[in-house]
Amino acid sequence: MPEIFVTVFDVFMRTYPGFLEATVVTLQLTAIGVILGTVIGLIFALMKISGSKILQAIANIYITIIRGTPLIVQIMFLYFGIVEIYTMSNFWAGAIALGVHNGAYIAEIFRGSIQGIDPGQREASMSLGMDRRQTMSRIVFPQALRRSIPPLGNQFIITLKDSSLVYIIGVAEIFSLGNREAAQSYQPFESFLVVALYYLVLVMIFTFLLRLYENKLDVDRA
Amino acid sequence: MIIGENIHKSFGDLEVLKGVDLHVKPQEVVVLVGVSGSGKSTLLRCFNFLEMINEGKITIDGHTVNPKKDNLTKIRAEVGMVFQHFNLFPHKTVLENVIEAPITVKKMKKEEAKKLGAELLEKVGLEDKADVYPSKLSGGQKQRVAIARSLAMQPKVMLFDEPTSALDPELVGEVLQVMKQLAEEGMTMVVVTHEMKFAKEVADRIIMIDEGKIIESADPKNFFENPQNERTKQFIQLVE
Repeated sequence: MPEIFVTVFDVFMRTYPGFLEATVVTLQLTAIGVILGTVIGLIFALMKISGSKILQAIANIYITIIRGTPLIVQIMFLYFGIVEIYTMSNFWAGAIALGVHNGAYIAEIFRGSIQGIDPGQREASMSLGMDRRQTMSRIVFPQALRRSIPPLGNQFIITLKDSSLVYIIGVAEIFSLGNREAAQSYQPFESFLVVALYYLVLVMIFTFLLRLYENKLDVDRA
Repeated sequence: MIIGENIHKSFGDLEVLKGVDLHVKPQEVVVLVGVSGSGKSTLLRCFNFLEMINEGKITIDGHTVNPKKDNLTKIRAEVGMVFQHFNLFPHKTVLENVIEAPITVKKMKKEEAKKLGAELLEKVGLEDKADVYPSKLSGGQKQRVAIARSLAMQPKVMLFDEPTSALDPELVGEVLQVMKQLAEEGMTMVVVTHEMKFAKEVADRIIMIDEGKIIESADPKNFFENPQNERTKQFIQLVE
């Protein structure tokens, strides 16, 4: 067996207890980032389609700033910003930064799916005497949500990988641990290869689960 | 039942309705005909307030509607509408489509709504399709579900906007049959259609709309045999 496989395997065997813990942290960051991002995204998507010029302007400013600046800058900015007013662990500062970042992208996903629903659906609903709120919550949004699932899943995978950036504020997730391992062992190549494998396997598992879920939705509707 | 007086409607600079007066009596079946772009569908949509008129007034069942003050949601619930493209809710089963509005709008109990839904589906001949999703239905079946869905709100009048125009020819009959049955039961109906045979057999009155105005209004016999307006004569020649 080539030398490199042996050393990578050695590094893997030596480090997996620590990496399993770091994986849990990465998954927690991802989960919080996505859930918070979904809540924020939904609120801003509704603001964008609200018809109120002020709400639309607020949503547009938020989306423009978030999409126009690097995530790593947002993490630093939020971390040092939050610490100024409220003492918070770096884990939570990082998770919130991921959520705020995701919110902008998820808002656009929701807005696109809501506006992509055939206007005839809205008309049919209103012609039956349903008001705007009922039409949105019972007819338009459930259909939009189904359409949002593939892009949301994609965003989920992006978040998983982006969560590596919170290493910059010292959260002990996968990348951060790999970075330390590389420095301590003088085996940077093997260490980062192991890091890459962890992310790759996680993404593959998510992709598989997502496909199962999408297929299930298709079956439900057929 | 529906009285429209001096109805004007514009989209931007384009004036689609230029002062239409129409009085639909209870239990009357009025068929609106005209070339495409004449404004007949727009007129129908104004009666359901899917389009807001720019001028004139609309009275429904004795109540003159003030779009600014009145609860349009409530008025729409009393005026059923069937669309050219069915607009069934794809995420709901056939039965769920039918009982959605009675439950959310009328706050009907689910059991009661289901019973009503089953009766209406039987009426349109689709009781065996209650639990399937619309994507599994043919166009004709979809339109019959749409009619049942509208009827579930027990509307005082039904508007049909080219209900058979999107259907394959062999599926048109089953929808017209249901509409004919409704007419026989005394439902007030306003129908935009190109089905002249239906107009002849079922309509009490046929109204020709041209360039945003009513140019002919007569019972079917007079409409087809003795049209007064030159444009109506041309139209009849075209469709027959």
